[in-house]
Amino acid sequence: MTPEPNSSTLRPSWLQALLSLLLPGLGQAVGGALTRGFYILLSVVTLSGLAIFASAQRPRYPDYSLSFHVYLRFLLEAAALVVFLLAIYWLARRYALRSEFGRNAATPAFALFAIIVVAIAAPAMVDTVVTGEAAKKLYALTSLLTAIVVAAIWAWSVYDAAFVRGKERAPNTTPFYLLLIVGILILGTRIVQINPEKAIREYKDTGVILSRIVWPWKVAFDYSESQLVAEAKVQAPCPPDAKPPAVNQPQEGKPWVVVTPTCGNLSKRDSKGKLTYGTQLTIRGGGFVPNKKVHILWENPIGNAFTPRGFGPTDIQTGPDGTFSTKLYIPDVTIPTFAQGPQIHTLRVVQRGAAQFTGKLSKEMKLALQAMLESIMMGLMATAVGIVLSVPLSFLAARNLMNTLHTTTQGFVGGVIGLVGGAYLGKLVGDWLTPMFGGLEKAPILTFSVYVVLVLGLAILAYRLLSRALDSAAERLPAGLSLAIGIAGMALIGAGVGYALGIGYAHGILGITRGAEGALTAAPHTALLGAALGAALGAFWAWRLGTSSKIPIGQMVYAAVRLTLNIGRSIEPLIWAIMGVIWVGPGPFAGFIALTIHSVAALGKLYSEAIESIDPGPIEALQATGATRLQTIVYAVVPQVLPPFTAFTLYRWDINVRMSTIIGLVGGGGIGFLLIQWIHQFQYEQAGLAVWLITITVATLDFVSASIREKMV
Amino acid sequence: MLVVEHLTKVYEDGTVALKDVSFTVEDGEFLVIIGLSGSGKSTLLRCINRLIEPTEGRIIWNGRDITQASENEMRQVRREIGMIFQHFNLVDRSSVLTNVLTGRLGYLPSWWSLINYFPEAEKRRALTALERVGIADKANNRADALSGGQKQRVGIARALMQDPKMILADEPVASLDPVLAHSILGYLEKLNQEQNITVLCSLHYLDLVQRYATKVIGLRDGRLVYEGNRTKIRNITDEEFKHIYGQEAQRLSVGG
Repeated sequence: MTPEPNSSTLRPSWLQALLSLLLPGLGQAVGGALTRGFYILLSVVTLSGLAIFASAQRPRYPDYSLSFHVYLRFLLEAAALVVFLLAIYWLARRYALRSEFGRNAATPAFALFAIIVVAIAAPAMVDTVVTGEAAKKLYALTSLLTAIVVAAIWAWSVYDAAFVRGKERAPNTTPFYLLLIVGILILGTRIVQINPEKAIREYKDTGVILSRIVWPWKVAFDYSESQLVAEAKVQAPCPPDAKPPAVNQPQEGKPWVVVTPTCGNLSKRDSKGKLTYGTQLTIRGGGFVPNKKVHILWENPIGNAFTPRGFGPTDIQTGPDGTFSTKLYIPDVTIPTFAQGPQIHTLRVVQRGAAQFTGKLSKEMKLALQAMLESIMMGLMATAVGIVLSVPLSFLAARNLMNTLHTTTQGFVGGVIGLVGGAYLGKLVGDWLTPMFGGLEKAPILTFSVYVVLVLGLAILAYRLLSRALDSAAERLPAGLSLAIGIAGMALIGAGVGYALGIGYAHGILGITRGAEGALTAAPHTALLGAALGAALGAFWAWRLGTSSKIPIGQMVYAAVRLTLNIGRSIEPLIWAIMGVIWVGPGPFAGFIALTIHSVAALGKLYSEAIESIDPGPIEALQATGATRLQTIVYAVVPQVLPPFTAFTLYRWDINVRMSTIIGLVGGGGIGFLLIQWIHQFQYEQAGLAVWLITITVATLDFVSASIREKMV
Repeated sequence: MLVVEHLTKVYEDGTVALKDVSFTVEDGEFLVIIGLSGSGKSTLLRCINRLIEPTEGRIIWNGRDITQASENEMRQVRREIGMIFQHFNLVDRSSVLTNVLTGRLGYLPSWWSLINYFPEAEKRRALTALERVGIADKANNRADALSGGQKQRVGIARALMQDPKMILADEPVASLDPVLAHSILGYLEKLNQEQNITVLCSLHYLDLVQRYATKVIGLRDGRLVYEGNRTKIRNITDEEFKHIYGQEAQRLSVGG
């Protein structure tokens, strides 16, 4: 161990300190610590740049942006503040605190002092630049605080530079990293728009809605509503020759309402909004529940009912005998000019009885339960299908199994040609065969299956035959000839890959700058170029490998499968669900597809890592007995990976059910679909029901899967 | 008869594990390979059944050059060569019986494994093999429930399932205590003498070597530095010993 370089014995380099004062990190770089200097400069530039950029991107305050100049001013002020604080610190340590205790207390006391100073000084400094809204000041404040951190880093870098001697870096870097973290957190607060003030100020308004979400169980049940209703007819307008409806008569034992007159004029509102009242109606009613409000509704001739507010009282208390009386102007109903015949309106008096709890689930609750079931099943199915698809993939993505697979150049050539040729042959046979039973339109599943079986089957068959044939031929043929076969074959494969890449380049890359037409003209050239390059590369590779060397076919498959799995996993299920909705339309099927794709990718990776971490001993032992690859996997790998596979599957099932509850937000079916609809319609109680069901389901599942896992291990 | 000619193994990282090793093993021999850790003993044994691909040289087993065998041919060769390991290499979560049965896989159709099918005759064979090593009563236990000595006996039973003509034993007793070491080597000796199975075994302790070997080869840094028969190894000189194990080595006894 080399002893810690002691800064007190090291002579400070004033030149390096000066250089770092001019440009942070420069002194370090000159002193031989190039990377360190680079990191210091990078952090200063990044923090400053983010502080300016983040304030320039404030769409909510278009009038306000913290320009470079303002930041520079902040930085200068901050530098002054930091120098002032450091001077005090130095003085305190040097003179004021000579005792052991004093020196120990100096740093925390100083930290507290510095925080108080910044807390007092910062708002004042902000006030000189920004006026107006508090929120604006908050944003300016974060800029200022960042500037203080940057100034502190700068100051530290000056101090640090003085002691840098090549590999001997005297002062430690802890202050630098601490400052950097603080700076990033300050900026993060602003960029994420974390605003505690707002949170505290506005929490009251959420109470009403929140309480409806938190305890929504009222809407889970049906209530029978008894209501007493009485109606009277009124004709309006009232033409001279009108035959108005008959006046009602009070009735015993039933709610009744009597309106007079039964014919009158509508209230009118002119273009300026000025209201002219029409005929005033006298309304008497009875037979209602005593001492309880009745409500008046007006129904126009085409059957739309509304409360005629502003034309008289609409909620009237009944007397002890259940009667009431009131007056009401005929409201300003617009009668279209093409309306024919007498316009008969209905005045309706409604008295609501107490809502009766029926004990039946409400329509919404039933819907939510149904959707919840849909979600759970979606998660279950996605997990099941995910297992089936990911298990074989995981073996292809396990490094320890695949790394041992090699093939000769000739075998590889035979294999690729066999694979591509076999697949093409399969397609040809399929093209000839499938029209016999209707094709894709009439029998999609059958046709598709036939294609899959033919293409995959023939490809694998041709792959095995050709790769083996060429492999063994390579051993028997003279070395020169088999090398020639290898080179020719690899050139052919290279040409094919290069051709495809060339076309892809034309449409994918050139298409961006030259448009579709330009890409079309360029395609033949790029394809030809790609083919030529590919052929050359393939031939070169084959020549380098020679006859005896082996192509790591296992590693190639491993890399390809791993890449596919990583892509599948890094795209979130919600995004897969959007693609699923485009593909099969909204509904649980789309969600199922999304969850399945993500499950296959995630489980494939987890499974393959489980396979990679097994004990290789049994594999070796089984290989030594002359077992085939399949037998080795079944008897040496599978027993070892069964427990981790089960654990990962349960874990995934857990995730899938949880995801299935929100996959509906983008149209993937299940309860999320209902939830987002209810939220959009401001039906917060119903939304609350959905949230409750989701929570119950997820918590139950968590418990179940945890206890199963516990039993498994 | 096993003939190893000019065997060389260079690993991908450039380590030379074996350098021009040649020797002959007659049928029915109990050949012990000695040498320090890292001297190439394990590599040599694994090259013989090509668990490790030799870089150069030939291995001729009963007149056939197995370094040239294809993958399929190699499987045929391997089922005649049993192997037991220092760490037993059993599948811990499988039953003892299943572990023993896997020794027979080379003789069975590959796809049977998909439905985990073994014929009754093979199961009886496995039980017989377990009886021969004295742990038939453990057949239905999980392998990880056994003690070290029992595990190695399962390893031997698994090798017996192959009807081997030769057994490769890679430090079979290095993880066991001295009493068990004698017991395990005793089983190997019995097989060697009663069934004329050739045994190639790497061992550490000289007294075990002197007790069991009919022939000894010594490896040092991948080179063959010693070759001797039973009489020669029982009278090994200090000079020879230090030639194999280095100047600072002390003779150690396993006892028992």
